[in-house]
Amino acid sequence: MPVRVSFMQVYLPIAEMSVDAFLLIGIGFGVGWLSGLFGVGGGFLLTPLLLLIGIPAPVAVASGANQTIGASVSGLIAQGRRGNVDYRMGLVLFSGGLVGSVLGVQLFALLRRLGQVDLAVSFFYVVVLGTVGGLMVMESVRAMRRRGRPGHRRKLHEHGWTHGLPFKIRFRKSRLYMSVIPPMLIGGAIGLLSAVMGVGGGFMLVPAMIYLLGMHTAVVIGTSLFQVVLVTAMVTLLSAIQLGTVDILLTLLLLLGGVAGAQFGAAMGGKLRGEETRALLGLLVLLVALGLLWGLVRPPTSLFSAQREY
Amino acid sequence: MKALPRCLLLVAWLLLGAGGPARAQDQPLVAALSQAQVEVTTGFSGAGLMVFGSTDQPIGPGGDEIIVLARGPTRPIVIRRKVAVAGVLWVNGPAARFAAVPGYYVITGTRPAWQLLPEPERQKNGLGLDALPLESTGARAPAFRRALLEQETASGLWVEDQTPVVIEGNRLFHVRLPLPATVPTGVYKVEVLLVRSRRIVARQPLTFRVDRVGTADRIASIADDQPLVYGMICVLGACLAGWLGSVLFRRG
Repeated sequence: MPVRVSFMQVYLPIAEMSVDAFLLIGIGFGVGWLSGLFGVGGGFLLTPLLLLIGIPAPVAVASGANQTIGASVSGLIAQGRRGNVDYRMGLVLFSGGLVGSVLGVQLFALLRRLGQVDLAVSFFYVVVLGTVGGLMVMESVRAMRRRGRPGHRRKLHEHGWTHGLPFKIRFRKSRLYMSVIPPMLIGGAIGLLSAVMGVGGGFMLVPAMIYLLGMHTAVVIGTSLFQVVLVTAMVTLLSAIQLGTVDILLTLLLLLGGVAGAQFGAAMGGKLRGEETRALLGLLVLLVALGLLWGLVRPPTSLFSAQREY
Repeated sequence: MKALPRCLLLVAWLLLGAGGPARAQDQPLVAALSQAQVEVTTGFSGAGLMVFGSTDQPIGPGGDEIIVLARGPTRPIVIRRKVAVAGVLWVNGPAARFAAVPGYYVITGTRPAWQLLPEPERQKNGLGLDALPLESTGARAPAFRRALLEQETASGLWVEDQTPVVIEGNRLFHVRLPLPATVPTGVYKVEVLLVRSRRIVARQPLTFRVDRVGTADRIASIADDQPLVYGMICVLGACLAGWLGSVLFRRG
């Protein structure tokens, strides 16, 4: 009779399945390491990995959002201590994110009724990660080429169409005086994506803050972490109430590995150049997108799939 | 592991002895389960349950035959078929909804049921995966039912004639019902059937429960009953874990 090693199997009460605890801690560590290295939450890696080991998509997305809170909080504390968080900008982004995440959870519930969750999650990932990854690789390659040559410096921020909009507010830390509408729209879009994809959205928010809002770069990471923590907390709450898909045991096991991994990653990240880190992250993001795209276009091994109704 | 059935057999002998020969004649079939409750803890990785019993006549080829059928609580399941959109993208298409799919179905016997009973009799009693009544709405093609069968069989929750009922000393029978880690919680019904000359002459219904206990149960019931509180605990728990991480990091 084969002996089952049961001491590392753990039964996830919401996912209703048992998984190897060390596997979850390991995944948490790996994702945490990468997210420490690149300074992003790592949700975009985590959710696909959870799907890969057989966690049902709704549980993977909701618990992924929950673990992102933990992964981002330690970074937020560190940034807050250095005064690198623009709370006012964060709250404006979040007010958009609030609407976005409520809509996102509704959208997710609708997709589940239609039986298209897996398709939608993969599709969102392919489009968003493909775009972001491609842009990052292109941008960092350009930056690497530029290095050494006496370059033209980028303007502090450009005056564009956003300056004609009403409801202007002064964001002192971001060194901006602008309308609240663009940050609210950006926050809303990212809140929506974060509810459907189970990610914090840091990897989308950071470029959006730099290139679309023109924020002062020193406060970008801290402010995005602040917004990510708020949005993922919202998504976790809404998923727990409306869908009942947050598995706290899954979250905590992932965080156990993730918190440790992030520290090792951050230590290593300090040794890499900015452009190199961005190029590597861009490649990683593209790789995940290509893997998921392959999953969508590859002829399926089984034409049929079963879904339990909750 | 080998000691367990022996021990149960001893219990069975004692039960029979206590009942006396007269009682055994009244009841052609006596059967029991090794436990009335299976506990699913956070460390649960599957279990097994023993069905054992005895008959008043010799069991085995030419004599009495035993069929054991176990069914778990039902739940609705949707089976979807993928279709290619524009020839490249695979999307979920037509679906069939099965309203009451048993979450657990195990049938076994001293021999497969189709060898023991006439076909109409077997179909009528739902003995065998092909005889399982499964009402569905939506897409009607038989392939959907087949896919459901494949899915449940692959998950180890539906098992047909995997390990036969073991006969000991012509009188006692026992079989182990495998309960994989994914068993749904709820009430399980076990039916032990005595087949004599290709007819079911006695049946004994038994029940057991699969319950989440301890932490697993507490987590699931809080999530069900007080989702707002549960959600807040999840958020605060994650914050706390992140904060602890940053404290430890500052030390190191």
